[in-house]
Amino acid sequence: MIAFVVRRLAAAAATAWVASVLAFGMFWTVPNVDPSYFLGGAQHGTNVTRAIANEKYGLDDPLPSQYVRLMGSILRGDIECFYGCASLRDEFVGALPVTLSLVAGAGLISVALGVWLALICVRHRGRWPDRVITAAATAAYSVPSIVLAALLWAFVTHKSGAFPDDGYVPLTQNPFEWARHLLLPWIASALPFAGAYVHVVRASLLNAVHEDWVRTARAKGLSERKVIRRHVLRNGLIPPVNIWGLDFSHAFGGFALYVEVIFGLPGVGLLTAGTIGTFDLPPIVALAIYLAIVVVLTSAIVDIVVAALDPRVRRSRPST
Amino acid sequence: MRTRFRRRSPDSVGHPLVSRGPWALALRRLRRDRAALVFGSLLGLIVLALLAAPLYASQVAHTTPEENHLTDRTVIDGRSTYVLSLEGKPIGPTWGRSYFLGADENGRDLMVRLLYGARASVTIGGGAVLLSVLLALPLALAAGFRRGRTDALISRLFDLLWSFPALLLGVLLSTSLTLHGVEVGPLEIGSGSKLIPVVVIGLVYVPYIARPLRGQVLALREQQFMEAARASGMRPTAVMARELVPHLWSTLLVLSTLLLVNAIALEVALSFLGAGINPPEASLGTLIDAGLDNVERSPHLLLAPSVALVLIILALSGLAEGLRRALDPHGALGVSLVRGR
Repeated sequence: MIAFVVRRLAAAAATAWVASVLAFGMFWTVPNVDPSYFLGGAQHGTNVTRAIANEKYGLDDPLPSQYVRLMGSILRGDIECFYGCASLRDEFVGALPVTLSLVAGAGLISVALGVWLALICVRHRGRWPDRVITAAATAAYSVPSIVLAALLWAFVTHKSGAFPDDGYVPLTQNPFEWARHLLLPWIASALPFAGAYVHVVRASLLNAVHEDWVRTARAKGLSERKVIRRHVLRNGLIPPVNIWGLDFSHAFGGFALYVEVIFGLPGVGLLTAGTIGTFDLPPIVALAIYLAIVVVLTSAIVDIVVAALDPRVRRSRPST
Repeated sequence: MRTRFRRRSPDSVGHPLVSRGPWALALRRLRRDRAALVFGSLLGLIVLALLAAPLYASQVAHTTPEENHLTDRTVIDGRSTYVLSLEGKPIGPTWGRSYFLGADENGRDLMVRLLYGARASVTIGGGAVLLSVLLALPLALAAGFRRGRTDALISRLFDLLWSFPALLLGVLLSTSLTLHGVEVGPLEIGSGSKLIPVVVIGLVYVPYIARPLRGQVLALREQQFMEAARASGMRPTAVMARELVPHLWSTLLVLSTLLLVNAIALEVALSFLGAGINPPEASLGTLIDAGLDNVERSPHLLLAPSVALVLIILALSGLAEGLRRALDPHGALGVSLVRGR
């Protein structure tokens, strides 16, 4: 297990490093995108304006040394923005709990709802509860969270007044207010995932139901409840947990972006959306790297948890 | 050698053996799948409406998606009404020839904008999926067929792309390309071009197609017909083109319909965040964004694009599921892109 954890963390570090090189390359070396063109002014600037920009920001240095300098400043949190900005690292760290609350809550709701409904489907497979639930799941899956978030914000937040328009209250300060700020964003982000998980978990559990060990368990005279809980769920949940892990490690750079924009939650998604709009290159690269670190770390943690549950995973080669 | 047994007469005794190709079988399964047919016809209607968008704009609504009507009047219930009230509030749905779904803040016809916006979103999604397939097929073939170092290299690349959220990658790539446009050899993409989201979404989704394909190539490679092809002296490229690729079509078809759903949703999210289509041009994403800004006074501006997007996604994913049931009834391909959004 320890060997697996070490290997998985090493793979995560390697991925984060490659991501940093890619992010740097994307904004510093692609022709017409590199900062000297960018800072030169309209039509890629004149030679003179580009030379001034090169001089000022040290853009004539060899690329590796520019890379090292930029990454150093990103990790220290004192990046030099082209148009001026505050310390992004502290802002990012400050915004992280908001997004973490959003993602963790949505993840829990989606997985709990998905597994619960899928279990009902499996118990009544082929009969009407199964059909109703799978149809509802398809419908839920077809409403993208961006639409759900927009509609909930527009027609529930505004009309009812029971929910705040925007903002966030830390959990430690007032748990009730925390939940009140996050309830609708949770629903908006969790429902489409829950719909998808009903299908995934149901398919996976139906596969598990026909396994030999389940028949053995029944033959031993175990109650249906115990068969489902001990023998079907344990094995049937492994594939869905992998998908869930991937989905919710991606959430930091996925639905968090627009859900936070719509609900005005001051998390990393809102920060990123705001920063992208400025077209200021160093903070954009910085945020990309901070987000990459979070995404890579979360997916490593998920994999380690899965490995703890399923011994077979530990022996396989970890994928990035 | 393929032998076909045909039914000789309608009253022939016993079980007449009818041999059909896999595609004919799939088509028969699809025709018997009522849900797939319903979603398929819904999709057909949507596509027809999108194709007819310019016709609707010029012949029925007599306007264009970007034409403002700040001071115009229109006739509702026989009375002439301003499109924008004195306070600037646009009219709601008239259910008539012009302003069928009402007008927006600039007095533009919402129905026309919606048709054009959905058209942009669907074409961008379709173009992106096409690009993904074109890139993924050769990569998956190379990785699965050559194996060894080629496979290791290509698979690492996929793993890397796969481990980052599609939306974040898309936003970053799109920002990078939008700054000054790109010139790759003779191909020049301006900074406001619709090709940027196509390229961005197409690139981001390559591993989503290539990874399952590679797995299938790896499995097919060990089959006897492949050995026979190699033994009969076919060159590797010919083996791939004539023996391998025909086995991949059904997977590709299912995967690309499933991916189209995700590509359209990604385009909407990108445009919503300002990293896709830019206003005043319409896309479902920009329409939802604009609808959110004015939702208190004119809820129709948000409702119309939301309903349109849900219908498109519902029709597409329903058809995609039907195709999967028809082409892969036993789940042997293990193809499933069911992911939340």
